[in-house]
Amino acid sequence: MHNSFSRRNRVLLAELIKTDFKLRYQGSMLGYMWAILRPLLMFAILYVVFAKVLRFGDGIPHYPVYLLTGTVLWNFFTECTFQGIHAIEQRGDLIRKISFPKYVVVVSATSTALINLLINLVVVVVFALINGVVPTWSWLLVPLSVVELYVLALGISLLLGAINVKFRDIGSIWEVLMQAMFYAVPIIYPITMVTATSEVIAKIMLLNPIAQVIQDARNNLITTEAVTTWELVGPLGGIASVGIVVAVFVIAVLYFRKKAKYFAEEV
Amino acid sequence: MKWTEKYLKRMREKAHEEAEASEIAISVNDLYKSFKLPTERAWGLKQAIFNRLKGIKGFRKQEVLRGLSFDVKRGEFLGIVGRNGSGKSTLLKVLSEIYVPDKGSVKINGTLVPFIELGVGFNPELTGRENVYLNGALLGFSNKEMDEMFEDIVKFAELEDFMDQKLKNYSSGMQVRLAFSIAIRARGDILILDEVLAVGDAAFQEKCNEYFKSLHGNQTVILVTHDMGNVERFCDRAILIEEGKIKCQGKPSKVTKEYLKLWD
Repeated sequence: MHNSFSRRNRVLLAELIKTDFKLRYQGSMLGYMWAILRPLLMFAILYVVFAKVLRFGDGIPHYPVYLLTGTVLWNFFTECTFQGIHAIEQRGDLIRKISFPKYVVVVSATSTALINLLINLVVVVVFALINGVVPTWSWLLVPLSVVELYVLALGISLLLGAINVKFRDIGSIWEVLMQAMFYAVPIIYPITMVTATSEVIAKIMLLNPIAQVIQDARNNLITTEAVTTWELVGPLGGIASVGIVVAVFVIAVLYFRKKAKYFAEEV
Repeated sequence: MKWTEKYLKRMREKAHEEAEASEIAISVNDLYKSFKLPTERAWGLKQAIFNRLKGIKGFRKQEVLRGLSFDVKRGEFLGIVGRNGSGKSTLLKVLSEIYVPDKGSVKINGTLVPFIELGVGFNPELTGRENVYLNGALLGFSNKEMDEMFEDIVKFAELEDFMDQKLKNYSSGMQVRLAFSIAIRARGDILILDEVLAVGDAAFQEKCNEYFKSLHGNQTVILVTHDMGNVERFCDRAILIEEGKIKCQGKPSKVTKEYLKLWD
């Protein structure tokens, strides 16, 4: 019926993104500043607890920046999926009354998180420079990690968002799952702590695409001390992790396209 | 007959067929639509698993449209009437491509601008101007097209001084006036309106009536309404729908009589 990337859809997408972003920070005194402040405050708490009190970061150069990079990427992933999964349900009023390609709603919901991430990454770079990290050519590889993480978040949003239309429990299940996942990804602790106990467990953990992305970003941005999936599990492990992302995305798009026709009746 | 003459004749016939087809704005053919209504009150993952285990379907089928066929000519003002639950709104939603039909087909020549409800996507936290552009984008208009229509819309709504105010500061009358102005000023080949005529005060209604009369012959309109006065005033033709089928169609005066007979 519609060409998915037609001019009409691009106009609609742009308009929805603009509206979402405008509405989110309207009436708040600090406005867009919250997009930067929220992750910085969370980082401050984690920094005091894990770097200063528990001393997790000893032996890792630039540990504060290392920690900040991890939390910023993690926050992006959770924000993106939380918004994306509920997008169809929240825009039900539109879907019931106007015909338009439904993916537009999911992409616009996740894009606010993406904009926030880009702002936050600027903060990360500033912090890194202040902290004495020397810029290298490998910084140019960091956008690849961001793209991979966004593809994964969008895939999960499309897949679980489509299921969530009928089974509203999915959103809540995912939120609980994410709380557990926070500890299964080496964000606050270095992966070397796990390797010291069991190398097998560390390898399995790094096959998680979220962990792979975070470690890659840290390795390229801050320090080669950050062990990547490609190093610990090997090139095949890295390919497997990226493969999971591609597989999730392809399945999500196929499933979403099949179900989208009936959203207007079910939402 | 020589082959050249045969060829020319065939070309003439083809051109004639095409001309006839372009006279038709909407062609609906043997349309069926049903819904699955859940029978349980709580509809969630738990219920779905329970039903699967017990072998219960968990829903019943509600047939809403049962074999509708009709054409709408270019420039025609068609009224659709019928009692509540007869399938009028479902029909409009299928025409607007919001629902997919179970069976049958809908062919549309030109761009279709549906107003199932006024002010879809209106947000109280946005200004009048922002809402007009958002609403326009949802209806499929580009920013440039909206730029061209904007002044016209605002003028018709008589809200020139309020466009940079947030919508939450509008009175409810002002809100519907704005939404209605977008609806009737939106430039599409086919306009679909669902029971949206009665808005605003007497003066604004008079203006709308004038506008509808001026549309005559230039704009294809499908209007769903319960107001038989409006059917006779504006429509060239009307269709009465009962239980998802066409009960009668033709001259508005004839159809409205049939409509009123439903309660005898």
